[in-house]
Amino acid sequence: MLLLLAALPTLFWDGAADTAPALREAGIRQIQVPAARLAEWKNVPDISAEAADLQRAVKLLAPTVNYRMDQASASRAPWLISNGWKFLRQPKGRWYYDVPGRQSAIAAAEAFSFGANAMVRTDAAGLKPLAEMLEFLGSVNTDPLPPIADIGFIDDGSSAAGEVMNMMVRDNLLFEIVAKPDPRFKLTARLGAKEYPLADAKNPGVVAHAIRGNLTDEKRSVRIYGSPVVVVRLTGSGGKVRLQLLNYTGATRNVDGIRVRVLGQYPQHQLAAADSPGLELVDYSAEPDATEFTLTQLKTYAVIDLSR
Amino acid sequence: MDRRFFLQVAAATPLLGNPVDEPVYRRVTRFQPVGAQGMPGPYPGQVVRVHSEGAIDAASDKVHRDLVKQMLATGIKALTGDARTEDAWARFISPSDVVGIKVNCSGAPRICSSPEVVAGIAENLVAIGVPAKQIYVYERFDNQLQSVGYGKYLPTGVNIQAAEASRRSIMGYDPRTYVETSFFGEDDTRSNLVRLVSETLTKIVNVPNTKEHQAAGITGCLKNIAYGNFSNVDRSHRYEKTNTLSFIGTLAATEPVRSRVVLNVMDGLRGVWHAGPFSEHAKFRFYPKLLMFGTDPVAMDRQLIDLIEAKRKAESAVSLWDRSPKHIGRDNTDPNINHYIREPGHVEYASKLGLGVYDAAKIKLKAIEL
Repeated sequence: MLLLLAALPTLFWDGAADTAPALREAGIRQIQVPAARLAEWKNVPDISAEAADLQRAVKLLAPTVNYRMDQASASRAPWLISNGWKFLRQPKGRWYYDVPGRQSAIAAAEAFSFGANAMVRTDAAGLKPLAEMLEFLGSVNTDPLPPIADIGFIDDGSSAAGEVMNMMVRDNLLFEIVAKPDPRFKLTARLGAKEYPLADAKNPGVVAHAIRGNLTDEKRSVRIYGSPVVVVRLTGSGGKVRLQLLNYTGATRNVDGIRVRVLGQYPQHQLAAADSPGLELVDYSAEPDATEFTLTQLKTYAVIDLSR
Repeated sequence: MDRRFFLQVAAATPLLGNPVDEPVYRRVTRFQPVGAQGMPGPYPGQVVRVHSEGAIDAASDKVHRDLVKQMLATGIKALTGDARTEDAWARFISPSDVVGIKVNCSGAPRICSSPEVVAGIAENLVAIGVPAKQIYVYERFDNQLQSVGYGKYLPTGVNIQAAEASRRSIMGYDPRTYVETSFFGEDDTRSNLVRLVSETLTKIVNVPNTKEHQAAGITGCLKNIAYGNFSNVDRSHRYEKTNTLSFIGTLAATEPVRSRVVLNVMDGLRGVWHAGPFSEHAKFRFYPKLLMFGTDPVAMDRQLIDLIEAKRKAESAVSLWDRSPKHIGRDNTDPNINHYIREPGHVEYASKLGLGVYDAAKIKLKAIEL
């Protein structure tokens, strides 16, 4: 079983060493640079530099939300652009984001929450948000905990299977990629099986709905109510679970409250939320079957440890 | 789930990629019915309608406040049979109550629960000893509520409160009181009760308008109680065939809402006969110039169906009951085109949940002209 190793993302910076004051002012202390720039950066005080090659990493999409304003229905689900499924398919992959401004913080948090090895390339406006997020991520308890999944998904490596995994990540259907049916999971799904015909994969949302229907909501380890733009990662073992919550609209707007339901009784909790000191969980309820609470605000990213 | 909660209905939530015809509802609430209090109340099947030609000037849209006060007094006394207005109000509300006045602002500022009517109700509550600070004029959405400007009309000290200070915030809702269902496989399957209702109010006076509704057919007492007191309800009308038929009554019958709504005062000074509940097109507004009173929301909404249907007939528009696909379309500036298949049958459905009397032959209508 893979443990989720929380590696800190790093800024990839291809500017010259004379840009160091801007990095220092933003709070950046560690960077990766093109090999050709390494020598000049090695002599810069207070900033540690290593060489990296973007050509040897896979570019990711900017994590965000497309509200599809052309579709005039208040209940139409927004379209989350998440890279989570890519990380799950290739846990040893090397990745990079190229994102402007405050999206740098969301990118860093996304990579961190999935334990991905990623660099973040950004512009001047993205330096401070990235530095602040990296500082927060560095303060988070990184005890490795195994992922919790309800679904074993047999990934045939196809783009269709990838899209189904993408939908499951966005819909907070927790899955782990497996080679064959595994009794550890409540459900095993394989595209092309009788319940999930390949023809349905033309609309991967239909397959994800079918998987959800067969799993049933009651058996889902975690549910999010109140926002369609929050993706959760759940890890844990031995009477302790950790939720990582990421607001995909965090670059531009806060989520004003979400209700979270986690299977199992966890009377103890500890919350750490980026850029939100003093935030607390409210309406907390720990019953034998499930624990529920409300996070009053989610700016970008939060980590909640629950224990018995 | 908290074991103290009273689980009224236990059922699995269906999950489908398409809208379901018969949704399965699960009510989660810690509240029990309060005796005979609440809908359909002490006057089942009874409706008082007070009409006054001078109540509002159609040309200027100006409300005659004194006439509205007279309509309120006449209507409430006719409903209860009391000689004094104070005695009539005191049948429903006591000075120790914390009273919510549930307004409807979805068409504001053009059409909403008129400030003159709402203020008149608040003044009557104060007159029977309810402190102003124990009165809440409330609605779900703050931007709609603020657009009306109730504060200028209300007695000093009356609270004006919205459940959603910022749109889609869940903090104004009670996480422990909700109706859960899946209409089309949506991920958020809960509709939570406004927290003010569950935690603060002891009684509610419901003040809907006389409006057609594109999905529900009409939006009167029941819909203002239901969709006006719960979150995440627009999911019931995502598709042309909606789930408003059963959802409205189900929400309205959920405790503590059913027990706390003790009186309905339907504001029919203005009305909308097409493309409601909003009022974007002046040509679909009209002026019924009436108020209706009752404790039975079904009987009152039955009257509203007739009112809207008659107006539509007079305008040569298709019936509220029409379900023809040829009348479904995006351009509802045509009164014969609608976005959805309307479900005025939600009123009869609610009667089967015990919320009131639907059979027109059993409804006692008292019509008064001022």
